[in-house]
Amino acid sequence: MAYDLVIRGGRVVDGSGLPSYVADVGVKDGKVVEVGKLKDGAAKSIDASGLAVSPGFIDHHTHLDAQMLWDPYGTCEPQHGVTSVVMGNCGLSLAPVKQGIEDAIVKSFVRVEAIPRIALEQGVKWNWHSYGEYLDNLEGKVGINVGGLVGHIAVRHHAMGEEAVERTATGTEVQKMKGLVLDAMEGGALGMSTNRNDRHMREDGKPVSSRLADDDEFFALCDVLGERNAGVIETILGRNKVEHFEWYHQLAKRTQRPILWQSLQHRWSEPNLWREQLEAVEPIFKAGYQAYGLTHTVPLVRHFTLKDCQIFDEFPTWKNLMFLPVEVRKQAFADADTRTKLQYEIDNLRLTNYHKRWDIPKVEKCFKPENQKFVGKTIAEMAAMRNQKPIDAFLDLALDENLETIFWNANNGGDWNAMGEILRSPYVLIGTSDAGAHVLFGADFGYGTILLGLWVRERQVMSLEQAIHKLTFHPASIFGLQGRGLLRPGYAADITIFDPKTVHAEEPVWANDFPANTKRMVQKSVGVHYTIVNGRVIHEQGRMTGDLPGQVIRGPLYRQHKAAA
Amino acid sequence: MGVSYIPVARVGELNSGAMKEVDLGGRQVLLAFVEGNYFAFSRQCPHEEADLKEAGQLLVGGQIRCNNHSYCFDLKSGECSLPKGGAPLTVLPVEERGEEVCIRLEW
Repeated sequence: MAYDLVIRGGRVVDGSGLPSYVADVGVKDGKVVEVGKLKDGAAKSIDASGLAVSPGFIDHHTHLDAQMLWDPYGTCEPQHGVTSVVMGNCGLSLAPVKQGIEDAIVKSFVRVEAIPRIALEQGVKWNWHSYGEYLDNLEGKVGINVGGLVGHIAVRHHAMGEEAVERTATGTEVQKMKGLVLDAMEGGALGMSTNRNDRHMREDGKPVSSRLADDDEFFALCDVLGERNAGVIETILGRNKVEHFEWYHQLAKRTQRPILWQSLQHRWSEPNLWREQLEAVEPIFKAGYQAYGLTHTVPLVRHFTLKDCQIFDEFPTWKNLMFLPVEVRKQAFADADTRTKLQYEIDNLRLTNYHKRWDIPKVEKCFKPENQKFVGKTIAEMAAMRNQKPIDAFLDLALDENLETIFWNANNGGDWNAMGEILRSPYVLIGTSDAGAHVLFGADFGYGTILLGLWVRERQVMSLEQAIHKLTFHPASIFGLQGRGLLRPGYAADITIFDPKTVHAEEPVWANDFPANTKRMVQKSVGVHYTIVNGRVIHEQGRMTGDLPGQVIRGPLYRQHKAAA
Repeated sequence: MGVSYIPVARVGELNSGAMKEVDLGGRQVLLAFVEGNYFAFSRQCPHEEADLKEAGQLLVGGQIRCNNHSYCFDLKSGECSLPKGGAPLTVLPVEERGEEVCIRLEW
């Protein structure tokens, strides 16, 4: 057989952003060897007619550091077409470690990333010290490709012990940390991450250790990467401020490494901040440096009724009404003076998260036949249809249906035009799935399938080719993942086969698949037919095959170090 | 417009440091008795939606800490005191009216 696998007749979206085309894809020894009209036989053949064939998606912002130790697939990554992940973001990694600091790392993961302590205690065996040894633990045991950043928090605890959460470092300690970062990079880390978010605390209420670092310390650690021309620098500074960009510029100029910053999103409460951020980052790129803003594809949507919603809790009268018995509440909603007061609060209270606009919330579901004509309309549109003020239309419709009417609202990500500009920006890196974290509160494994379903198919904010580029070769290039992210001969056969007409993510649901049967949220996909890692199928028509073809992806200093040795 | 007093407990029903679950118009509320004062607040932590009946720890000075992420809230104002600037906890005013502890809702 000329090939181990041939994928026949699919539309190849190769990750470059170039127009897609129909072709067969031949795979041999874990790599793509030919793309075109292939006549030779193969051990396995997949009919992909009518489907898209693309490089596997690269989820570069995960916290799967622990989960990969007990779950070789980082479930539910493959279900959403992800073939490679990067761990160690936001300053958090499980290495380097030495006896006595394990719990400091656990305390940080438990609080910052909301991973249940019992799962970490049972699932993490700590049979490593260096970052390279941690990666060694994953060799041969994973179903997807994994790489990672070394986290500033672990580095600081290793050098300073518990004093890492109390004070700045001495010059000697900074030198120790530089040695640890270099060792991690030579062991295979893809870069380094830090965390300065003033809301990020440990389980005991103390700040995570990286928050105690001053610029001298952090820049000195980043010099390790800059001086060796390797790795990315991932940062989280907390509340987004335009003033941060001077710092990103300084860091990018000093190290000439790609800087990743969090985050850039559209929020109705700060509707222009995303544009100000893009304008602020442009000079950094124009000066010849890289500072990519991370963004998400999942709108923060709430479906609500006036029976029990919380979204108006910032407004005192609205809040009080929502705690009244339903019959009393209905009488209040019908009262003209009360309505005037409710509208007054929306118009006049400052600094709220709620967007205060009637052209955003929509009627999602009506129960009476005569109200079906309002479904899908914004409150403002419905009010125009009814020749009413928006607040009257909103409350009258809800009262007409005994407060059962379901409304839709998005405080984040709900402006399609803004989201289009953000997602298309060359300065933006798509994906903050946080996979492996916040497991009791959500699951955003589907950031890629949502990009393809919501933003490409439904909202048409970018082409399929652009979107696939953003999910594959774009992160592969920034993170330096050699030989991945394109569907071209010589590249790793990490391949996703999906149906562009149906691809999407389902709503998260509960599972009990963490250590000690700890519950967490998982997320299934629609329309992802096959996920292939290094030429071997791991996910086929909704079922996992059990194969473990994943590789540990190590950075360039590892290769140089090995070669020198 | 009006005001409504909704009885949620008898005076003396709660021991110091105790919390009681209350359904108010379909929403879940906790009534706490701390240092001689009653406080009523949403059962759901505004940070990551933890159930404060399970994760909430009453502190001296009229505060509650959500043990899920150590976020602390002032039970009178709802303000997030740790970390500063976090989303506020929804709180409701409480009054003793005779033998009853009532939540006062004005609109």
